[in-house]
Amino acid sequence: MSEQETQKVLTPETSVEAPKTKSKEDRLRQDRPSLGDWLELRLGWWGFVRKNLDEPMPAGVGWWQTLGNLLLTLMVFQFTTGIALAIYYSAGPETAHASVKFINEGVQFWGINWGLAVRGLHVYGSAAIVVATVLHIIRVFYWGSYKKPRELTWVLGVFIFFVILGLSFTGYLLPWDQKAYWATVVGTNMAKDVPVLGTAIQQMLLGGPEVGAATLSRFYALHVMVLPAALIVLMGLHLYLVRKHHIAGPVVPQKGKPKPFYPDQLYKDAWVVLGGVAIIIWLAVVYPPGLEGVADPTGVDFTPKPEWYYLGLYELLKIMPKELKIVGTVVIPGVISLGMILLPWLDRSKSRHPAMRPGIIIAGTFIILMIGFMTMKGVLEGGGGHEESESTEISSPEASV
Amino acid sequence: MSETKQVKVDQSPESQDRRKFLGGAIGLINAAIGIAIFGPVLGFVGGPIFQKRKKIWVEVIEEAELEMGAAQEVTYSMQVQDGYRKIMRRYSIFMKRSAGGVTAFDPACPHLGCRVKYQGDKERYFCPCHGGVFDEEGNVVAGPPPEPLKQYATKVEDGMIYIEKEV
Repeated sequence: MSEQETQKVLTPETSVEAPKTKSKEDRLRQDRPSLGDWLELRLGWWGFVRKNLDEPMPAGVGWWQTLGNLLLTLMVFQFTTGIALAIYYSAGPETAHASVKFINEGVQFWGINWGLAVRGLHVYGSAAIVVATVLHIIRVFYWGSYKKPRELTWVLGVFIFFVILGLSFTGYLLPWDQKAYWATVVGTNMAKDVPVLGTAIQQMLLGGPEVGAATLSRFYALHVMVLPAALIVLMGLHLYLVRKHHIAGPVVPQKGKPKPFYPDQLYKDAWVVLGGVAIIIWLAVVYPPGLEGVADPTGVDFTPKPEWYYLGLYELLKIMPKELKIVGTVVIPGVISLGMILLPWLDRSKSRHPAMRPGIIIAGTFIILMIGFMTMKGVLEGGGGHEESESTEISSPEASV
Repeated sequence: MSETKQVKVDQSPESQDRRKFLGGAIGLINAAIGIAIFGPVLGFVGGPIFQKRKKIWVEVIEEAELEMGAAQEVTYSMQVQDGYRKIMRRYSIFMKRSAGGVTAFDPACPHLGCRVKYQGDKERYFCPCHGGVFDEEGNVVAGPPPEPLKQYATKVEDGMIYIEKEV
């Protein structure tokens, strides 16, 4: 349409001639559009929202597909509570512990401990994200949803999972208490076993020969800038691909027409999100996060124990004989990670049905069960902290002395 | 109503060559910009990898304060460069004085860095993290540690015990 014609459409004379029921286009081009129309013309926002709400959900899609939305909401919680914590937190060895103590105790009014509540939401939010991510991965694995053309959606998801684990590990040090300090000593020592580059990776992480001021600065920068930025980019691409290729649907196509995402699926999503949020609020209120004594490099009476989702690895390292240390620290975690990234190409079967790809299903189930078993073993064994637990003592291979 | 107009593109061979050349040049310029951004940043952040280390003798405890026989946990302080600050940092060490001289072991378990405990009644060092066990000479007798406890060279001067440490 030429410029003259455009002008013509926008003149009042033509609008007088327009029929009584104005089309959407007409409303957008009227002289005094509403703010919504004005924005719509410039942003096209409603079209974008509409497209997403109308996203077709194949028949049979339901509760298992709510995990992505739950994760997105939990991420919003983490970013929001994280910014609030950063306003009070100070990342230096002299100030970190004191600032977290202040967060735990210093802002109370109307009978509410606001700082502890926000920290509680952040701490349990991170655990909830790990749980929801693992469930999300397990669902996609058994549904075979990573197959053509969704290979890269899966790969991006795996990278998101690694970034989440990185965020957990770096966040763990920030309170600069005994637990934080010693978990970081153990975690960064593992990096040393990587062939050739191990020591360099460890030095890069630590910022010096041992865990200290430089480590805290580095972990803080990773936790609040590098990893969140990576997470936003990866999540953006992941969601773009999810929408581009649409939801894979059940393994065996169900009868029935696809339904739009809104309202049925979004209604299910809303309940799951509400449930997830309720659980982290409940945990934050009933079990508020504590704070150990300030980090002390001389502390020989402190037994480090990692956060529960690293306990599987911690237990694996116990049973690895000394000749095979690197198998526990690098080879097994490395092979599982690589296997996850390459899964869409390792699974050559064309069918998504679990029965049609027994090899990959057996291997994956074995790994999932082993990680679950080792994690449970670590949880049940207890230990860690200031008191040396009996169970840790018993589990030592004393018999072979 | 789309305002986009079809722009006529010069399709002559000379023009195609020019496009190819300019495209390559843009690629090179972008690579240079990339190096300008990431080069200094990587060098800066990777600094600790290239930090030079040196060995120094550190004063730990007076010989007279250390009993003969069983290993003892001793704490000492030394000045270290901890990132951006120079501080007196406290360390602990296991020392044993015998007729043959003084032996000193680092309490860090060579497995993954947890602190070992000395169990005098069993004459051994024990790591509570993954169950590593070391004899009184620091040798691994059980568990996953791949190497013995780190032993420091010691010397006694004017009644003071020193250890040689890399900083």
